[in-house]
Formats: sequence, C-alpha cells, structure tokens
Amino acid sequence: MKRSTAAVLGAATALALALTGCSSGDDSGGDGTDTLTLAGWSLATTPEFKALADGFHAAHPDITVELKEYDPKNYDTQMIADLAAGKAPDIYVQKTLKNFYTYQNGKQLLDVSDVAAGLGPDTNGLASYQVEGKTYAIPYRQDSWVIYYNKALFDQARVKYPDGSWTWDDYAAAGRRLTAGLETAGSQALGVYQHVWQSTLQGFALAQTPGADLSSGDFGYLKPYYTRAVDLQKAGAQVSLGDATTNNLTYQAQFGKQRAAMMTMGTWYIATLLSQQKSGDADRFEWGIAPAPQRDKSTTGTSATPVTFADPTGMGINPKINKDKIETAKKFLAYAGSADAAKALAGIGITPANTDAAADTIFAVPGVPTDAVSKFAFTKHETRPENPVGKYTAPLQNILNDLHTAVMSGSTDIDTAIAEAQDRARNEVLNK
Amino acid sequence: MTVAGTSGVRRRSGRNTLLGWSFLLPNFLGFAVLTMVPVVLLFYYAFTTWDIFGGAEWTGLDNARQLVHDAGFWTAMRNTLYYTAFHIPLTLVVSLGLALLLNRRLRGVAFFRTVAFFPYIASIVAVAQVWNMLFSPGYGPIDAVLRAVGVDNPPGWTTSADWSMPAVILVGTWREMGYFMLIFLAGLQTVPGELYEAARVDGAGAWQRLRAVTLPGLRPTMFFVVVLLTVNSFKVLDLILVMTNGGPGQSTLVLAQYVYRKGFEENQFGYASAVSMVLFLLCFLVTVVQFVVNRRREA
Repeated sequence: MKRSTAAVLGAATALALALTGCSSGDDSGGDGTDTLTLAGWSLATTPEFKALADGFHAAHPDITVELKEYDPKNYDTQMIADLAAGKAPDIYVQKTLKNFYTYQNGKQLLDVSDVAAGLGPDTNGLASYQVEGKTYAIPYRQDSWVIYYNKALFDQARVKYPDGSWTWDDYAAAGRRLTAGLETAGSQALGVYQHVWQSTLQGFALAQTPGADLSSGDFGYLKPYYTRAVDLQKAGAQVSLGDATTNNLTYQAQFGKQRAAMMTMGTWYIATLLSQQKSGDADRFEWGIAPAPQRDKSTTGTSATPVTFADPTGMGINPKINKDKIETAKKFLAYAGSADAAKALAGIGITPANTDAAADTIFAVPGVPTDAVSKFAFTKHETRPENPVGKYTAPLQNILNDLHTAVMSGSTDIDTAIAEAQDRARNEVLNK
Repeated sequence: MTVAGTSGVRRRSGRNTLLGWSFLLPNFLGFAVLTMVPVVLLFYYAFTTWDIFGGAEWTGLDNARQLVHDAGFWTAMRNTLYYTAFHIPLTLVVSLGLALLLNRRLRGVAFFRTVAFFPYIASIVAVAQVWNMLFSPGYGPIDAVLRAVGVDNPPGWTTSADWSMPAVILVGTWREMGYFMLIFLAGLQTVPGELYEAARVDGAGAWQRLRAVTLPGLRPTMFFVVVLLTVNSFKVLDLILVMTNGGPGQSTLVLAQYVYRKGFEENQFGYASAVSMVLFLLCFLVTVVQFVVNRRREA
C-alpha cells in the first residue's frame, strides 16, 4: 500500500472514531408526543415494565411506551450518568429509595403532586416520595418482608407452621428446633437461611424498634437483632455469612432447593419462586408465607398489625422531557399507581403499591398459597421504609454495611461494632 | 534539480508527518477525551462539592480539611499501604524466582511458562470467585487440608478481618506473578552469558552469581517492575471489590474503593476527586523517589 493511501486511511479511521465517540446519537426513543420512553432493567426476567407499558397502551392506544433497558446492578450509576448527559428516558424508576434524595435534591424529578392527589388512599409508599409537601414519584409496587416457609420440611422436623404470633425469639427457637428435627430425620437442610444483605437484620431493627432513627447516628437498636442472628449462626441453625459470601449462595437456591426450612425475604420472591418452580430451577414443594417476626408480642397475632419493612418502587418524570409530553407522562404515572395497573402487576406475581386492589388477583395465581396466614401476611402489615429519605442515608448505610460484615463474620463483637459505627457516623457523615 | 530535490524531500517529510499523525490520532483522541480531560478536571473538582447534577460549588480546602479528620480515609490509606508493603516484595521474589527457574533449558518449559502466565489473563471475576470458594471456612479445601494436618483453628481468610488482607495479597501475587515473570525473563536474555562464564571461572557459586551478575544485570528491568508494581498496588480495586468488597468491616477497604464508594455510591464526586488526588500524588511521589534513587545508583 502506498504511504499516501495509508495516511488517508489512517486519517479517515481517526475521523470515524472521533465522530463515533463524540456522536450524540439519541437512543432515548422518539420525540413524538405519542411515544414515551421508560427505563427498566433485566427486561427478559423482569416483566413488570412490559406489563405496565402494555396495560397503558391498551387503555391509550394512541400512545406507545418504549422500554430502555439498564443493567440492574449499575442502574443508578448509569441513570445518574444519563440524566447528567441529558439522555435519560422520559420516565425512570426509583429502583432504590436510598438514591431518591440524590435525584430529588439534584432537581432530576418533576413535581407530580397532581398525579398523587388523584391516587386512591390505599396506595402504599407514597409518603417516601414526598418532600416539603410535594410528590416527586409515584409508587407502583410496594413489597414487604415476610417469612417464607417450606411446609414439607416443617412437617419432617415436626415443628408447627408460623401462625403470625411469632416474635424474633420464637423465630430463633423454631430455627433451632427445625435444624435439630431435620438432622434427626436425616435431612441436610438447616432451619433458617439468612441472606447476606444488611437489610435482613437492619431493616427489621429500624422498622420495629420504637424511636429508632437512622439519621440520629445512634445504632444501639441493632444489638438484639445481631445478638440473636450471631447465636443462630454459632448454633449451626443457619449458614454463616462467610460461607454464604465465599460460595456466592443465592437465597433463591437456598429456599427453592429446600436447603433451608424458612427465611425472611421480600414479597417480590413470590413471583420468582412460582416461576422457578415452574421452570424446574426450584424444587416443587408446598410453601406458605407468614408475617415477619416481631420485636415483641404487642404486634403479633392476627388481630394486630405486624410491622415490617421494604422500600417502595416508584416512577418519576425526567425534567428534560419534551414539554409537550409532560401530561402524557403524568397519565402514565397515574396508570402505574391505579387499581388497573395493580391488578396487571398482581397477575404476574408482583406486589403492587395498591395492595388491597390486587389481593384477589394475586391469590388467584396458580401456586400462590391461599391459607389464612399467607393471606393475612400479604394483606395486613405496616411497612416502613428501609432507607428513610435523607441526605445522609447512603453514607450511613455504607457504614452500617461495614458493621454488618464485621459482626456477622465474627470479626467484631456487636458492642464494639456499634460504638465504631456511631463514631464513624458522627465523624464521617453527620458532623462533617 | 536541487530545487526539485528539496521540494521532494519536503513533500516526503510532510507525508511522513501526516502518516505519523494518522496513526497517532485515534489513540491520542481516545486518551485525550477519556483520560486526560477527566484527570485535569479532577484537580478542579477536588476543590468543590459536586453531586454530578448542576454545577460544582467551589469550597476551597474544605475537602482537604475533611480528609484529615476522615477515619474511613485513613483506614483505606493504611490498608493500601499494607497491601503495597507486602504485595511488592512478595511478587518480586516469586516472579523473579519463577523467571530464574524457567530460564533454563528444561523439557516442557514453554508449558510451565504458559501455566505461570495464565492467571494474569484469566477473568478477574472468575479468579476472585474461585479463590473465595477455596478460602471458604466451611466448605473450602484450603481449611479442610489445614484441619487434616492438625490445625485446629484454621484462618477465616476472606471472612475474617485479620486474615482478609493476607488472603487478598496472596491472590494478587498469584495473579500478577506470571506477567512480571515474563518481564524478568526478557530482562534475563540481556545479561551477557560471558559474565556468568567469567564468574564461574572465578569460582563464584550460584548465590554469588545471582548477587554479582544476575541482579546488577537486571537493574533496569527491576526498576521498571518495581515502578509498575507500586502503581498497581496503590490502585488495586477490582480484585478486592470482587473478593471481599472491602470487608469484613473495613479490613480490606483500599483507597481506590474508597473513591468508588464516595463517588458512585454516595454521589460525593467532589470529595471522591479529593481522595483521587491524594492517590495520584501518592503514586507520583513514590515514582519520583524511585526514579531519583535509580538514577543515583546508576551514577
């Protein structure tokens, strides 16, 4: 090849690369007022976005909702980058409440108070998206944590099913009895599986302890919850955090493959378990749900309202949306929070924010347990947020995650870990 | 004739320049846009408070003042120095040992060189995951073997605050030894064979030949390896992120992860930039010291 030809080719390549790298190719969907773009993640395995888009399109045939897929693990990082670059979709999901403050404080959400005003009083989780009297996102799903239990393993260990009367002490005692009973019966399953997330303990502790306040920097409320969990771990009634992390254990496999008789988990797992039992990824066995264990007897029993936790999942509007589309986007948000959407979501096993409107639908789904305790657990509870909205939530949760791994790995005792976390909270976050 | 010749030379020179730029430009544009500009901006953001949305607010030395009192930052700094202090000498010794061992004419030497290099090209996520399983206190084979040979309380490795950093250093060394072995192997080819012969004639043993011939002959290679290892150790992130995520507690939290946490998890990009600047200055200062020391030794 002649040198001049090589030079031209090289220059052309450089130009092409530069243009490709710098192009502003707008892939956020059409700008037509009849098309909305909506962010989602793992679209193939998370059908809720398509269910909402299809349901809305059926009600408004002239409007199409296009889905834009994000990586579930890096959703907020990617969304923040897209918003900063002006390339985010018209409507985006608040995947974690922890980051709502960043979006709201950064003026990345339109005021949708008028949409909120039109929602029914049964919509859970709305308060989490309200700041100074204005609403910035509409919750479409509101999970809550419950006990999942395997009836066959309970029968094998000769332990009574949870009936809504359990405190955490009862839960721990049942876990030990289950482990011993299963061992006697020749099973290798353990009584309890506690997943590696900090929320498995901290979410309950914060929600159930009177006066507990994340942003106070006082974490003494965690002590009884950690003491009990560490004891269960030492007694061999649950897999240790170390073994769970080093072997990358998934809660779906631990419960679905009958390696644990019970575990606490959010109601999103109902849909997963149903689908995995259908596909064969989980064993087929009879299971039920029961209210989350309570801090004391005052909130146990079916005449009381059990206290549990979980963050809502909401949707907000990108302020850079084409102005002509704002009303259409609000219509979509109103639909996402409506009883119709709740039924559509419940039909695929998702717990909608408007739980009451969808209870009948979800219990009609084949495979969903329909016993009285399961129905009670699903419909009656006071669900408090895991991540109270605030400036300090994200850094404080990072500090508390360090506490979680330090204590559950047995590296630090709970008193020392709480004292260290409180010091760090003061020095690194609250008083900086 | 002379005029035509001069213009021909000029044309050729112009073409050469154009050719040079055409090959340089794609890489340089990428470097400038994706590396140089962000690095330059980082020095500005380090003096601001910025949550990525809107403009950054100039706060002068506030971030620096906060750093001084930030226990998390100092923990990350101590852990980074801990990793560096053990990872560099260990990797040097192991990779040099491997290079010396595989510099001989052995049967299957190419196979063993490939085996030693393999960890470097293996996926870091897979490597970290497999090592985590090997280290697992309940099910892992390492502790099973230790128990079998009579160790009652084998280490908790990545699940223990005391043993997590040694475990990460071991895996870091295992991963990088092949790469540096290759560099040492290349360096060993440059040591003249006659020097070894002369040393043998003078009655030098293997240890003396290593000290008097091999190590001095490898000085330029050694310098390059130490500089590279230092920078790699200071900015270690991927391995720790996958193996321990900085835990248990903060036992393996290093500076690069602290930057990631502050920036991408807590959206404090101004503060994260300030920590990055410290990391940059640390790498820069240590490298400058290494250059100065090396130059003095050569002089």
